[in-house]
Amino acid sequence: MSHNPIVENLKREIENFSSQIKAEKVGHVLEVFDGIAKVSGLSDIKSSEMVTFPNGENGVVLNLEEDTVGVIILDDFSKIQEGDEVKATGKILEIPVSDNIIGRVVGALGAPIDGKGVIKADKTYPIEKVAPGVITRLSVSEPVSTGIKVIDAIIPIGRGQRELIIGDRQTGKTAIAIDTILNQKGQNLICIYVSIGQKDSKLRKLQTCLEEGGAMAYTVIVSAGASLPAPLLYIAPYTGVSIAEYFMDQGKDVLIIYDDLSKHAVSYREISLLLRRPPGREAFPGDVFYLHSRLLERACRRNKEYGGGSITALPIIETQAGDVTAYIPTNVISITDGQIFLETDLFYKGIRPAVNVGLSVSRVGSSAQIKAMKKVAGTLKLDLAQYRELEAFAQFGSDLDEATKKQLERGKRAVEVLKQPQYAPIKIEHQIVTLYALTKGYMDDVPINKIKEFEQGLTDYSERKAKVFYKQVVEKKMWDERGEEELKKVIEDFKKTFN
Amino acid sequence: MTIISNNDIAQAIYLSSKDKTGHELSLFLVRVVKFLDRKRFLGRANDVLFRLKKIINREHGIIEAKISSVTKLHEETKKDIIHTLKKRYEAREIILLESLDERLLGGIKIEANDEIIDASLKNKINKLQEYLIRKV
Repeated sequence: MSHNPIVENLKREIENFSSQIKAEKVGHVLEVFDGIAKVSGLSDIKSSEMVTFPNGENGVVLNLEEDTVGVIILDDFSKIQEGDEVKATGKILEIPVSDNIIGRVVGALGAPIDGKGVIKADKTYPIEKVAPGVITRLSVSEPVSTGIKVIDAIIPIGRGQRELIIGDRQTGKTAIAIDTILNQKGQNLICIYVSIGQKDSKLRKLQTCLEEGGAMAYTVIVSAGASLPAPLLYIAPYTGVSIAEYFMDQGKDVLIIYDDLSKHAVSYREISLLLRRPPGREAFPGDVFYLHSRLLERACRRNKEYGGGSITALPIIETQAGDVTAYIPTNVISITDGQIFLETDLFYKGIRPAVNVGLSVSRVGSSAQIKAMKKVAGTLKLDLAQYRELEAFAQFGSDLDEATKKQLERGKRAVEVLKQPQYAPIKIEHQIVTLYALTKGYMDDVPINKIKEFEQGLTDYSERKAKVFYKQVVEKKMWDERGEEELKKVIEDFKKTFN
Repeated sequence: MTIISNNDIAQAIYLSSKDKTGHELSLFLVRVVKFLDRKRFLGRANDVLFRLKKIINREHGIIEAKISSVTKLHEETKKDIIHTLKKRYEAREIILLESLDERLLGGIKIEANDEIIDASLKNKINKLQEYLIRKV
């Protein structure tokens, strides 16, 4: 008898092993190409069911045809050969989830890819799930503070909302998403960033940025890089939302960013064309709307009886030459509860974030905006709209009346105030002070080139001096007369020292 | 335009020929070949025949079962297998297609009706391997 503990352990394991012979539904690979396999047999298979190939590769059934089954392969398909046995599993695709996933970078199937070891999974979650019904939902009323003045003031986002970030390449779409994640420190919001078809170098840069900002402590990155086959790019956002649902089921609030859904639609188009589904507009298949609507419907705010928690979704769409009327942008615009529209022209004019305030909208976010912000930002959108109109008009005439001149000056200052550098989210109370000073006309006599300096100085000074105002805004989300009087006095004092 | 599948052709041939015998059947089969030729479907003939055989088997309750084993099976064992399969698939007749496969190491493997019943030693060892290297 051996006393080697390894051998003893092995013996015990083998003794515990029992294998039952059971009939398994099988099919055979007819052809395999570009991440797709056509399989014969598998007579009782269901749509979206997971299948396994001989070397352990997984696949998902997408097409059920008269004689064959179309399967997307989710692993390396180079080893799969014609005639290989394909086994049905009777399950739909699931991903492992646990609390330990926070701070990690995982692949499209939830497996870690950051080299920090295995993630011990508590349970598995199906990647496809029906979105919560109307009975379980609650309307949006809690804000997601992005730390970006123009968004928090004019296009506010609420927990459970779906707000599209749309714009051409290089207009700062990802930057808005990253700034939003960076601003969630201590805000009780878990962030999930789903990278779809992005360059690995970009992802690495982003991960470093989040690590340096201390944001990885509450963030998960799901990545399906540009080098991966289309089926994995197609699966990645569903994996992301399943992880989000795992946290929401614990009553937590989650923010999920899909960067970007244009590439997701393209990968789905590739799969659909390979599966010989009929192409429609722009060669996208007929169900490309459903592809995104079923994904974004899973973002919601649930009421307390059904466990609470929320998923806020920020999908990103890349437009071509500012064309928002293309197929995928119009689809996603109609699905979401508003959009943040970024423009190349504004970006190169130095207005960053390059948000076009006229075209951007938040359909449900205003009810989530805190009272104090609502009060200061109420007239801002109107001011900006009037400014833009007058700006165009003022180019033709030099003699302007006093009121028009004043409006133009106010508009210029508003544009200046709303500019903000990247990775520099601003606390909501600071934003309120700045916007209060702007809308009440305290900045009207400050030269435009000194606005930034004024803003910085004012926030530092007021935080030290206007203690009552700050306390009221943080605790009650609104100020009273006493607070307002204090702030007014503090701004006036600061102006004296500033000049 | 709807595409006529091989299954549709096989189904049509079966339904049209099932009441025919002798000379009538011969004439019908000639017409079928002419039809396939006219429609340029002769290239699909092999698959159509394969599907026709499947349809005939299904209609007559016949199931073909492939049995692989390392050594030749005893008659008694075969009878037992046929009996079990008849019961499992409620079939009238089971046609056994035997083959020898040393890679199984021992036991048998049955393939019938899109199902595999793998009672081979190789499968058992594979399962044991999966069990031993499972993530705890």
